[in-house]
Amino acid sequence: MNRIWVIFHKEMLDNLRDYRSWTTGVFWALFGPLIMGAVIMMVGSTFRESAKESLRLPVLGAENAPSLISFLQQQDVIIETAPADPEAAVRAGEINVALVIPPEYGEDFAAGKSARVQLVFDSTRQSALGDIRQASRLLESYNEYLGALRLTLRGISPQVLRAVQIEERDTATPQSQALIFISMLPYFIIFAIFNGAAPVITDATAGERERGSLEPLLINPLPRGWFAVGKMLAAIPFAALNLVITLAGFAAIFNVLPVEELLGMQIEMDAGALTAIFLVCLPIVLLACAIQTLIASFTKTTKEAGTYLPFVGLIPALPGIALAFLPVKAELWTMLIPTFGQQILINQFLRSEPILMNNVIISTLVTLVVSVIITWGAIKFYENERIILGR
Amino acid sequence: MIQVHSLSKSFGKVKAVQNVSFSALDGQITGLLGPNGAGKSTTLRMLYTLLKPDSGSAQVDGFDVRKTPLEVQRRIGVLADARGLYPRLTSRENIRYYGRLHGLGGEALEKQIDSLLTMLDMQEIADRPTEGFSTGEKLKVAIARALVHNPQNILLDEPTNGLDVMSTRAMRQFIQRLREDGKCVLFTSHIMQEVAALCDQIIIISHGQVTASGTPEDLRRQTGQENLEDAFVAAIGSAEGLER
Repeated sequence: MNRIWVIFHKEMLDNLRDYRSWTTGVFWALFGPLIMGAVIMMVGSTFRESAKESLRLPVLGAENAPSLISFLQQQDVIIETAPADPEAAVRAGEINVALVIPPEYGEDFAAGKSARVQLVFDSTRQSALGDIRQASRLLESYNEYLGALRLTLRGISPQVLRAVQIEERDTATPQSQALIFISMLPYFIIFAIFNGAAPVITDATAGERERGSLEPLLINPLPRGWFAVGKMLAAIPFAALNLVITLAGFAAIFNVLPVEELLGMQIEMDAGALTAIFLVCLPIVLLACAIQTLIASFTKTTKEAGTYLPFVGLIPALPGIALAFLPVKAELWTMLIPTFGQQILINQFLRSEPILMNNVIISTLVTLVVSVIITWGAIKFYENERIILGR
Repeated sequence: MIQVHSLSKSFGKVKAVQNVSFSALDGQITGLLGPNGAGKSTTLRMLYTLLKPDSGSAQVDGFDVRKTPLEVQRRIGVLADARGLYPRLTSRENIRYYGRLHGLGGEALEKQIDSLLTMLDMQEIADRPTEGFSTGEKLKVAIARALVHNPQNILLDEPTNGLDVMSTRAMRQFIQRLREDGKCVLFTSHIMQEVAALCDQIIIISHGQVTASGTPEDLRRQTGQENLEDAFVAAIGSAEGLER
């Protein structure tokens, strides 16, 4: 058995020297934390701006409606002079929204007709939505206020016009939107594990065949399956290293960025949560190495392996993406799917939810059993004549 | 010693090797001569246990290639058709890896590596990564790693392929030296002069079958040709694929 370690040792030495490919793997480990950090910064700053700052409203023709302007100013709106062509300015993204008051506003208003104003905006601009909504709401309340005044002057209760009164109670908070992104975090961890193992496995399997070193290697007096096992084991430290780096990256993001201030929520990334996540992910390390070893063994060249392996790493993403939009409870069936169960568990650790030990045990056992079955498949393939003939 | 009894192997409809029998003795050089695609490499691959024969059997020092492949692997040193090295490892590390896979280690292994490096005159390239080695240098590393466990039986697939004149000469001297050490050397070639100059016994293969075998003297007698070259051509049926 200790000759498996001879293979392991050689693959480690060989792959550590190929430092260009394993540092690429490390880059993928940092990919998740970097994206997550950028998203948190962006989402956080959008919420903060829309929540705290008073609306700056560029107005064209402010002189036509002094009472509307003073109403807006009372509502804490900062009135600015709009550019001469507000539509172009909105389209160019220079301003979020603009109010245009035409010269006939005063006349219509005095005559008791509906006086027309224009709100210029681009509804597809996500970052402008807050300003747009606020401006149109203010205009509507001015409308209602004037209408009520006029009715009162005529001796009619303003409630006549309000058959239904709508009260808005929006339960969406900045936190719940940010949670969508946090739900992607487990997948980024799994992605990093797969990408840590991929370069090493590609070199040790497809690379071996491509160099023409596989045939002489297999003439050495070892059961053939041991070669598959040794090569798979050699990828484990690289996959585990990527797991550690990616967790450290996330820990840095959550501890350095003022997440609570930006998102208004607390993410648990202390030493305890990190250790728990690391341990829950260890079976995935084994699974990632086993499945990629099996698939790469079938390929003839490193190029061919390079086209298949990224797809393998994407498969665990599918439930992860679903998780971001459909909240799934940590039920037993979810723990029976390798990588899916772990993603739910990681989410629970992050939100400091209570964890069922049974769930951890079941998801770990299922993943380990699946890994062993896949490894057995790789061993069988190495024992087959097809590995020599490449068919 | 290698004994082969009516070995056959097909790939789909292609009958690569049919009913091949011969034996290669210790202290002798046995050459498998035949044109490209005659079935030489397939025969050798069955002997070094990578391919399973469809029928027939072969023994190395009495161990059957099908029933006891690990025992066979311990007793053979092989220069396969594919002779790729690990380009990021040095010559010494490439050789050491194979030594360890044979269960060797420690001082004994290092001594064996040093003696191979001396014997193949490769001290200068011993501690360089094999990336960018010339064909001849790569071949030396491949031979050294094949012999690191000091096997009694040595199988060489086209050992002089791609070598320049000097390297070919050195290679031939090395094969003769193995014979002096009492090894059983079996090699394939499609070059008649090489086989004629080196071999104690020649097996001529054509279209997967043995068409003639014996000492050079026997071959001349069997084919009724004065000249060995004519004897080869007569045995194969044509000069196609043979290098002069």
